[in-house]
Amino acid sequence: MADVTLRNVRKQFGTFVALEKLDIDIRSGEFVALLGPSGCGKSTTLRMLAGLEFPTSGEISIGGRVVNDVAPGKRDIAMVFQSYALYPHMTVGENIEYPLKKRGVKATERKAAVLRAAEMLQLEPLLDRKPKQLSGGQQQRVALGRALVRDPQVFLLDEPLSNLDAKLRSYMRAELIELHRRLGKTMVYVTHDQLEAMTMASRIAVMFDGRLQQFDTPAAVYNRPANRFVASFIGTPSMNQLEGAVDGSTFRVAGHAIPIDRSRFVHALGSGTFVLGVRPEFVTIGGGDLPARIRLVENTGHEQIVTLELTDGTRLLARTDAARRLDVGQSVQIGFHPDALHLFAPEETGRRLNKDDAASVIPMRSR
Amino acid sequence: MQSPLRTLILNLVTWTLVLLIAFPLLWMIITSVKPQTELFRIPPTWFPETITFEHYWRLLSETPFLTYFRNSVVLASTTTLFVVCLGTLGAYSLVRFRYRGRETLAMLVLFTYLLPSVVLIIPLYLMMVAIGLSNTLVSLILAHTTFALPYALWLLRSFMEGIPEDLESAALVDGASRMGAFRDIILPQLLPGIISTALFTFILSWNEYLYALVLVNSDSVAPLTTGVMSMLISTFNIEWSLLMAASVMMSLPLIIVFAFLQSYLTSGFGAGGVKG
Ligand SMILES: Nc1ncnc2c1ncn2[C@@H]1O[C@H](COP(=O)(O)OP(=O)(O)OP(=O)(O)O)[C@@H](O)[C@H]1O
Ligand SMILES: [Mg+2]
Repeated sequence: MADVTLRNVRKQFGTFVALEKLDIDIRSGEFVALLGPSGCGKSTTLRMLAGLEFPTSGEISIGGRVVNDVAPGKRDIAMVFQSYALYPHMTVGENIEYPLKKRGVKATERKAAVLRAAEMLQLEPLLDRKPKQLSGGQQQRVALGRALVRDPQVFLLDEPLSNLDAKLRSYMRAELIELHRRLGKTMVYVTHDQLEAMTMASRIAVMFDGRLQQFDTPAAVYNRPANRFVASFIGTPSMNQLEGAVDGSTFRVAGHAIPIDRSRFVHALGSGTFVLGVRPEFVTIGGGDLPARIRLVENTGHEQIVTLELTDGTRLLARTDAARRLDVGQSVQIGFHPDALHLFAPEETGRRLNKDDAASVIPMRSR
Repeated sequence: MQSPLRTLILNLVTWTLVLLIAFPLLWMIITSVKPQTELFRIPPTWFPETITFEHYWRLLSETPFLTYFRNSVVLASTTTLFVVCLGTLGAYSLVRFRYRGRETLAMLVLFTYLLPSVVLIIPLYLMMVAIGLSNTLVSLILAHTTFALPYALWLLRSFMEGIPEDLESAALVDGASRMGAFRDIILPQLLPGIISTALFTFILSWNEYLYALVLVNSDSVAPLTTGVMSMLISTFNIEWSLLMAASVMMSLPLIIVFAFLQSYLTSGFGAGGVKG
């Protein structure tokens, strides 16, 4: 077991800056998800941890040892690739055996270890097949098996579930959580699927545009997003963000004033444009004085996602229970749960301006 | 839609082509087993009245045919070995490493093909003389390598590009060295490409005439192409029976090699295979 640290890491491809000043501390035994949209540098980060890519500057250490100049094979890590990267000319058994072979493990021990890994992942009947003769889920398990067989310090997983169908994906998600609990190893898990990150990780590193946006527990990332990007990226449907101006203890939007509690935000709120954030579940229809019109109602069976339009054309989403009767075109009065309001600086990754304390976390059910 | 007429025409064209290509080969074989007396009879006999292998026997026992044959085998195999080794390493470099002028380099090697061989052959000959290799098999091996390598490089490069980089990365993480990953993962994946390249090079070198004519002039180092020609074709006389027998024996190795490797090529080996 080992902790993993990225200190001031920067990565450039030619003149293109893929990662800018990355600082991440992963504790031993932790399950960390690297989450972000496509092209934000997740794979690059993981590949640098694996030693397949060299940081332009900065320091990477694993288990307290700086590994910048250590070859991938000597870092005591195992990696599962997004493409699985199974060796096509080797059988499943040979694939799983390969890392042991390369480390000079004796043949008899190798056999035993392969069988152990195969058993754990229910691969025994497939050991003599070639990767091509396997389904996606089976291939995925072989890739995991090849990583597991060696008992490494750190597991690196690059979107291992992205090629699977929804059902298999949720099954494998549970399997991975279980596996992590059993092995207790440090795992770094790259994904662009927030559901995976939220359900599996003990902490999530949200990345965007080559920068770390926030690194915190799933609950904190959801309830106290560090900035506008995190707020909109985490949660489906994503948080409503309304541009407006702070005026005394109200927030002006679409010609209306929404009362806000100034004491919950940082003192230095000047005048000018700000962004008010509120999650759809904290928008109450018929519980306030902001006039709006219903534009769309999407009923998923257990809830309804309602698209609302304010008088100035601004759209926002509300989430209500499925039983409620709402008609498109209907005029309603809406309100926001006062404790669930976030205030952000207006730029794309504008900082959140709430004074942060655990109390600002509102349980989902209290809406 | 397939109309019967269309099918008929297509078949006709195909079979005409097949006959056009096959007839000389057939005639070559027939001539090689005809006795001298039957050779110039008019009308010609389609099937020889007596089948004789005397020409083959004479070729093997009374002429330096076997020396030429050995030279050709050594020449084509060594060239193939050189080209495959250099081509594989070169293609690996072009695909996997990022360095300045990589694309230019790849284009530049093709430059050789823009010039007719006769333009290249004189400088090459002078070079061989200068380094003391004139009239040796080595000079031919080097010459053949220079003209087979560029194409081999491109061929292998396209095969190499088909091998996902992740495979190699996985091997590195699994504890292999770069050379180890190359041997364990890249080479087996590249096998179909290597076989096609080897096939191409071997045939090219086996059939090459012009370089052999210029660079080599003594019987002891001449390959089949020039050796047989100079031996059997003189200003006054062409030894047709011997020439045909020699031609049959020259074609045989290629047919064997091709038949043997053909099965490799189409067996859908690894990632390079046609099966999805
Ligand atoms: N070898 C490379 N050369 C040049 N640019 C690269 C290279 N590898 C990655 N990049 C660039 O770096 C950025 C980050 O790439 P990376 O693969 O880390 O993204 P990612 O977050 O994993 O995205 P995805 O979710 O699509 O896998 C991208 O803009 C990509 O184009
Ligand atoms: Mg990626």
